[in-house]
This record gives sequence, C-alpha cells and structure tokens, in this order.
Amino acid sequence: MLKAAFDPVQLAIPFFVVAIVLEILLGRFGKARANYEARDAAMSLSMGLGSNVAGLLLGGVIFAATVWVWHHRIFTIPMTAVWAWVVLFLLEDLTYYWFHRLAHERRIWWASHVNHHTSTHYNLTTALRQTWTGGVAGTWLLWLPLSFLGFPPAMVAIQKGISLVYQFWIHTEAIKRMPRWFEAVFNTPSHHRVHHARNARYLDANYAGILIIWDRMFGTFIPEVDEEPCRYGTVKNLGNFNLLYNVFHEWIGIGKDLAGSKSPREVLGYVFGPPGWSPDGSRDTSHTLKAKWRARTEAGEGISPQ
Amino acid sequence: MIQLGGSVAAVVLLVALAAWLGVARATPPLDAEAARALLAQEFPDHRPGAVWIAADGAGVIARADALALVLYRRGDGYVARDLPWAAVAALKPTNGRLTLRLADARPVLAVNDDVWPPKELA
Repeated sequence: MLKAAFDPVQLAIPFFVVAIVLEILLGRFGKARANYEARDAAMSLSMGLGSNVAGLLLGGVIFAATVWVWHHRIFTIPMTAVWAWVVLFLLEDLTYYWFHRLAHERRIWWASHVNHHTSTHYNLTTALRQTWTGGVAGTWLLWLPLSFLGFPPAMVAIQKGISLVYQFWIHTEAIKRMPRWFEAVFNTPSHHRVHHARNARYLDANYAGILIIWDRMFGTFIPEVDEEPCRYGTVKNLGNFNLLYNVFHEWIGIGKDLAGSKSPREVLGYVFGPPGWSPDGSRDTSHTLKAKWRARTEAGEGISPQ
Repeated sequence: MIQLGGSVAAVVLLVALAAWLGVARATPPLDAEAARALLAQEFPDHRPGAVWIAADGAGVIARADALALVLYRRGDGYVARDLPWAAVAALKPTNGRLTLRLADARPVLAVNDDVWPPKELA
C-alpha cells in the first residue's frame, strides 16, 4: 500500500533503449523521419540519467509527505478494485494536465521544466530529457490530493509511472498520425509535436499526459497543421551544449531578475508570472508572441490563424 | 551502483550509435536566399536592411536599425540572438575569426581579410 511493488519506468528501460536504436536505424535507412545530432542526444540521455539520481535526493521527503497525507485520508480506496484504477487513471491524468500547464505558464515551475524543451530535435531521446530540479520546484505537491482522497501511495506511484512510460513513444517524428479516433482521445506524436514546437502559433498548447481530452475541454488544444511544420526547442534556443547550463539556466535567470527587482510586485512577477514577464513588458511572453503572430497573419504575411 | 554503471554504459553506447548512424539535419553553407529565409523565421518583427554572411556560410549578421541580428550554427541548427549594432561593429577580428560575446556562448564567425565591419553592414 505504501511502496510500489514495481516501477513501470524501471521496467520499461530496456524497451526505451531498443526503441531508440530502432528509431536511429529507421532514420538512417530512410524508412521514417528521425533526425539525431550526437551532442543533442547526449544531453537528452544525460538529463534522463541525472534525473534519476536527482530524484533520489528528495525522494525520501516526497515519499514521507505522501504517506503522511495518506494517513489523514478521507476514504480508504482498495488497491485491488478495478474501479479504483479507472478513477485513478482519470484523476492522475487530470492532475498531470494541470501540473504540466502550470509548468509552462508560471516561471518558477518553468525553470524546472524548461530543460525538457531545450532540444531542437524531436526524437525518442527527447522524452528522456527530464528535469533535475522538479523536487525543489515542488510540483509533486499537486499529486498529494490523490493520497488525501485515499488512493494508496503505491497506487499513485504506479499510475504516475505508467503515464511517464506512455509519454515516451509520443516523442517521435517517425509516426505522422494515428487513426482519427485515437487522435481524438489520446495524446499522440502529432499532438505532442505541437507541444514541443517553438512556432508562435503552437506555443502553450497540448499539455496532456495520456488523454488529449483535457486540452480539448480546457481550450488549450491546437492541432498540427501540415502547412506549418513544427520547429522544436524554446523561443530562445540555448546557445551551447552545456549540460549544467541546460539544467540551471532559468533558475539563474530568476536569481538575476530577483537581484535587480525593486518591489514586491516585481518579485512576485518574476517568480510566479509567465515566463518572459517583465515589469515594463519589454520582454516577450507566449501571449505577446502569439499576439504578434496573429497581427502579422492578419496583415497577410503568414499562414492564416485557425 | 551496478544499475547506475549499466545506465551510464547504455547512454555512452546510444550516443555512439547516434554519432555513427544518426541522420543529422543538412546544414549547407548559407547563401543569400537561405540567410534571408532564416532571418525572417527567427526575427519576424524585424526588417533587416543589410545582411552579411560569414565566409564559411555558418553564420549571419544582419543590421536592423540599431540592432545586429545574429545567427550562428550550433550542431545541425542555428541559434538566433540580437545585440546592439554598436557593440558588434566595435569587434575586432583576428586571423579571420570574429568572436561574439553572448551570455551563453562565444560563437566564432569566419571573416575574410579581417575586414570588420564589412561594407554590406557599414
């Protein structure tokens, strides 16, 4: 009930390796679209490895907090009931949606998540480009209500693992589109390419974990359009291949901004405002970039807005 | 520790495989048309008047009023930055290399005959 009997992510590691090898070979022999740049792939894989190590540092604290909350639960939900797994699947995926949305729309959580988006490639190694600072950022707090409801910590951990494993295969250009019914319900490579794109029209969209229905419900769904291929990375791409810079650059940016801030409003804005927020509005946020794109498009320069 | 060692070995092997068999994007030396297209993509709100392409085609500096719009190759893609034109104009190339000082990189652009700024941008 407390500690998961197995970790879906650990079990899936051999599959991850085989799938990456397969994707490289498919790209090499022209059977599928798959671009690899060695330094980019090295950074992605190193991030994945480091993330596991970093996770150990705060893992005990997070586990203890989860168990403490579960001991104060409202209901007692059996781990053996099928209905409980169905409900948890939906609630955990909804939790993931809001975690992911916050991770993009609020700078302190973006600082932890941005390094997943710094690859200018979109291949299976990108899926493994995981954060090292998620524990510090505290996004794990969002999952505590599930334990407070009464889902055993082991059950929540397993479902989180299943979600992470699911999201591995959607980080690819090798699959163009899934069947229409699948695209309507599930997160797919096409939907997630949009999420990783830096084109203004695609910013801040498709936050789904497994089910894309949350984006459709909450108005953040944007379909991939063939007229505008996704360009990957962040709005301002990294200038180097330095692993530690990738991990900490946004945290350093927050620190510099806080050091120069002149009021509590500025402090709050720099920490909890959207990425790119500035007191005088001189920097671009996703919102301003999209507004400029719409203005250009309406002026007849680009592809028409949807 | 055994698991960590195995993971490190797997990472090394996968990176080696990506370096050996991975298909990077083609990044041929930029010509005027490609440079303009890239500038339009990266700086859609600017209208650069003049464009200079590095001697090896691996970088571009365009001038838009008081700004220098910079593109340089990183891996198999390009990074875009804007800098004050006055700071870029004041740089001195040595041995055909112009080093830009950015917050997160020191890209080096190839310059013919150490002439800087070039006549296209001056």
